[in-house]
Amino acid sequence: MISGLIPIAYWRNRKIYTRMIGSRCRDCGAEFFPPVRVCKKCGSRNIEEKEMPRTGALIAYTKLTEPAQEFKEYSPIYLGLIRLDNGVNVISMIADADEDSLRIGARVKATLRKWTEDGNGGLIYYGYKFKVIQ
Amino acid sequence: MSRVFIRSAGAIPVGEYWTKSIGDLMADAATIALDAAGPIKIDKIIVGNMMSGYANHQEHLGALLASSLGMRGIEAIKVEAACGSGGAAVHEGYISIKSGEYENVLVVGVEKMKDMDTPRTTKALAMAESADFTQAVGASFISLNALLMRLYMNTYNVEEELMDYFPVIAHRNAVTSPHAQFRRAITVEDVKKSQVIADPIRLLSSAPSSDGAAAVILSAKEGPVEILASEVATNELIIAQREDPLKFLATEVAFKRAMQKSGISASDIDFMELHDAFPVVAALALEAMGISKSGKAPQDAANGRFDLGSELPILTFGGLKARGHPVGATGVYQIYEAYLQLAEKAGQNQVKGAKVGITHNVGGVDTTSIIHVLRRVD
Amino acid sequence: MNLNVGIFGYGAYVPMYRIRTEEIGRVWHGGGAGPNRMKAVASLDEDILTMSYEAAVQALDMAGYPKIQAILVGSESSPYAVKPAGSILSDILGYNTILGVDLEFACKAGTEAIQLISGMVSAGTIDYGLAIGADTAQGRPADELEFTAGSGAGAVVLGRPNGKEIARIMNSVSYVTDTPDFWRRPGDKYPVHLGRFTGEPAYFAHITSSVKMLLSETGMKPSDFKYAIFHQPNPRFPVEVGRRLGFTDEQLRPGLLNDEIGNTYAANTLIALAKVLDIAETGDKIMLASFGSGAGSDAFVIEVNSRKDDDDSYVPLSERLKNYKVIDYATYARWRGKILK
Repeated sequence: MISGLIPIAYWRNRKIYTRMIGSRCRDCGAEFFPPVRVCKKCGSRNIEEKEMPRTGALIAYTKLTEPAQEFKEYSPIYLGLIRLDNGVNVISMIADADEDSLRIGARVKATLRKWTEDGNGGLIYYGYKFKVIQ
Repeated sequence: MSRVFIRSAGAIPVGEYWTKSIGDLMADAATIALDAAGPIKIDKIIVGNMMSGYANHQEHLGALLASSLGMRGIEAIKVEAACGSGGAAVHEGYISIKSGEYENVLVVGVEKMKDMDTPRTTKALAMAESADFTQAVGASFISLNALLMRLYMNTYNVEEELMDYFPVIAHRNAVTSPHAQFRRAITVEDVKKSQVIADPIRLLSSAPSSDGAAAVILSAKEGPVEILASEVATNELIIAQREDPLKFLATEVAFKRAMQKSGISASDIDFMELHDAFPVVAALALEAMGISKSGKAPQDAANGRFDLGSELPILTFGGLKARGHPVGATGVYQIYEAYLQLAEKAGQNQVKGAKVGITHNVGGVDTTSIIHVLRRVD
Repeated sequence: MNLNVGIFGYGAYVPMYRIRTEEIGRVWHGGGAGPNRMKAVASLDEDILTMSYEAAVQALDMAGYPKIQAILVGSESSPYAVKPAGSILSDILGYNTILGVDLEFACKAGTEAIQLISGMVSAGTIDYGLAIGADTAQGRPADELEFTAGSGAGAVVLGRPNGKEIARIMNSVSYVTDTPDFWRRPGDKYPVHLGRFTGEPAYFAHITSSVKMLLSETGMKPSDFKYAIFHQPNPRFPVEVGRRLGFTDEQLRPGLLNDEIGNTYAANTLIALAKVLDIAETGDKIMLASFGSGAGSDAFVIEVNSRKDDDDSYVPLSERLKNYKVIDYATYARWRGKILK
């Protein structure tokens, strides 16, 4: 059995993974993903939860043919560095990747997909992936 | 405060050691350094290592090495900073001596990666990155660097081939490097033809996985080489959360501090052991240090500016790419190589008249950057 | 049953991948094809939860995100035997004070979800509920059902009518018997079916019964309806049962999808309903009857109240279905877990 993500750690972070809950600094308004304890712009600890926008643009991408152990059966994995519409960057898998439509600047939209599972009997991990919107 | 000298240094060749455990590797390297030092009382052992827990099911390396060397009672710890563990161990040894509390410190960097298959190795390396937000989304360490490389190529309009001069330089120097893992030259065409791992990074542009161990004995007593500065800086762990992913802030800060503390300037540098994990890392590091202009490091490499006989030789014994990259040990290998250069023991790889050298060791993607400035003691 | 429940939003999700039945025929039968041209295949990283999510978000968006107090997911391909997709989906959508659970009744599990949610809405125990049918149907290799066993999800948001609903479910009948046409024992990967027996005694008998009972109860006749949607295990059966019941090809054609996406099992009639609601006008009446092996049929009279709000970003299902990618049998086998490891 492939042991991969840690089930309890996944549960702990599931809102971040399935709803892209990040942070917003109440003092200076800066937004972050994933969530932060301390504002990286102004240093304030006055932070609230904020759901991130689900659309953005691809600023870099790659096709990974040698993923880590727990993603071995999902190879190849397409990854992107995405700038969300609120200026926050996120690294994410790309769903339904079509090599012809992967280009810098492509518009992308978040969806929910399986990330991996702990073999046939283990937990299934769901989270955000981004699709290129035609 | 004491000054910090290198009394002796030693290393085992980087490669695959099926018959040796991680304990064997570090004891072998330590013994070479100890034998070369002559009679000496070691006050402290610092082991630099990244992944002994996951790869070898072995933590507690400080105590393990102390037991192995028969040094009962000695102070011994392990230091970890991902692929910068070696440099971090040297740093801890440096400040131990500098503080005046210790006379002689044995620093050993070790990594045994070859008991793992590729997917597990990939997982182990990915532990330098956020478990919850980078590992969880399937990104491997190489894939992060691939994203950075694509961003770099697109931003500065640089072709993939131009970046492949870094592995070419590394391999050329490794041919005559006795402790190197890969001792054959390669061309830019060879790199271009090699298998893609994470587009656009290929097999021949990626540092390998390796077994290895290197050791240095730092001393308050004068020796042939002195460490003038040892600086560590960090950058935002998640590269997506960096203001400018192409800015190697940690390297920039550590380098500036090191220049200030040591009193030397960039033009004084006679050689540099750079952290060439991937061409884009070498390029961005050189640019962060101000040695190349933004987007221009690959062209500088192609123009021969960093060749062994030129103005600023880099990777004089093969660097990460060709000497090899037993990750936690690399930082100590770099110090060993700088020592060889400055003590004029570099054989066919000697940088003539080398007086000042730099080592640059990194954990993550410029997440921890460690700069050492070393000079020859006349 | 008199219902009077409003449909405030609907959603349909069909994965973008297709396999041609002639490819399946090539691999297993030395040629030939299925009764349908293609079927939809869920990607390696999709399952009924991810597809339900997609359909649910569409329906919720259309309905304006009312407070949902029950989510029922009907499926026979839940990734967990114990741990309902309904609870995972509830958590993801942000509802925790909710009944979130799964149902199973082969291909009628989706309409069952509609029945149960409608019951809760009518009784006033909840204001709004989400009924979902979703499947990544498991087709036994070399078996004829492999041609049609497809993947998809459909969702509807149901609540008490307030004039703003898109359509109203006016009446329904659920007809159930013990009929061994198709079943699956726990732990088995693929269902077992009895071939031709799944036709007359199963599919035709149950849909005919439920629809006739519904027409009798309501005093309506086939010509009262603009559209007729019947469960589509293949392209031919819904047309045949429709004709027998007195419906015309004009009424039947708009809802037909099996030829291009196959049988999406519990999502089947819900996806067809979405396709029809995309084009239906105020006052149109829709007859919808599902069929689930085992066996049973849920029939509904649905009346269209108003078109959904014109929203430029909404792409009708028929448009979305035009965008697909064909895959080969090897990829299909890998993605659908048909390769021994």
